[in-house]
Amino acid sequence: MTASLSERLLLARLRNREEAAFNEVVRLHGDKVFNLVLRMVGNRSEAEDIAQEVFVTLFKSIDTFRGESQFTTWLLRIAANHSKNRIKYLSRRPTDREGLDAMPESVLADHGRGPMHGHVRAPDAVLESAQVDDMMQKAISTLAEDHRLLLVLRDIEELSYEEICEITGLPDGTVKSRLHRARMALKEYLEDKRE
Amino acid sequence: MTTPTDTHGRVQDSFSAYLDGELAAPDKALVEQHLAACLQCRTHLEQLRRTLGSLGSLKRKAPPTFLPDIQRQIFTRSSGRFFGQRWRLFGKIPFEWLSMAMIVAMLAYYILTQHGAPTSVSPTP
Ligand SMILES: [Zn+2]
Repeated sequence: MTASLSERLLLARLRNREEAAFNEVVRLHGDKVFNLVLRMVGNRSEAEDIAQEVFVTLFKSIDTFRGESQFTTWLLRIAANHSKNRIKYLSRRPTDREGLDAMPESVLADHGRGPMHGHVRAPDAVLESAQVDDMMQKAISTLAEDHRLLLVLRDIEELSYEEICEITGLPDGTVKSRLHRARMALKEYLEDKRE
Repeated sequence: MTTPTDTHGRVQDSFSAYLDGELAAPDKALVEQHLAACLQCRTHLEQLRRTLGSLGSLKRKAPPTFLPDIQRQIFTRSSGRFFGQRWRLFGKIPFEWLSMAMIVAMLAYYILTQHGAPTSVSPTP
């Protein structure tokens, strides 16, 4: 995978710990990383915490990036690993579960939609979209972690199969068959809820 | 109905590839042929399409405080080696004293030009 000139220049500046270069990377990839983490853990404040940690890791370990993969896939792999670790950590603390379920993330904020784009949506439309969001997030959370990751990468982040293979280290066939099972499981769950 | 049950299974197994546009032409034709005749598989495909459609709307942006929060984290954890300039500078500029000095300077300027000027410019012979 050959990086573009601008990407190589940016990387060189990152390796020199140039703060402006780091800011640019956060601006370029912040939303993608945040959304991936948010959909994996299903909780907004946890997601903010993990996504910040991903970029701190990037800043610390940019020297370990050797350019065998795309920079973006390398970054998203860090995000996926951090998310998995946090999910494992949270599942070992059963007393804290109420924190996970008590606050649907869409109730807390609705960035990137509606008012930010210059028009205020009608309250019932906001509510409806918040309900859809919560329902979908609950459905995603029922999936096994590795299935969830594939679904998030492909159907929410809209990455290519090539990129997903790079991020997960899985062969193409495994990605596709697991993704299919994840999609069908999600569909079954949602149809059950709709009935 | 003469269609064997596992035909439905096989058709449904290829739904993802079908929706992703990854089926070879002959397989695609077989799937479509089956769909035309099978309401059950058609329904499942529609449901899957609807599910994938809803997933597409789940994109959220990072909060506006995202970048400064990260900068602060790195600043703290690097013991002030990185992302410190701005905070340090900001903390070091004594805005209160600056504004006080400005007021004093303006007052002095006013007094000098209005009252002190005639005496201070008149030279003593
Ligand atoms: Zn069928």
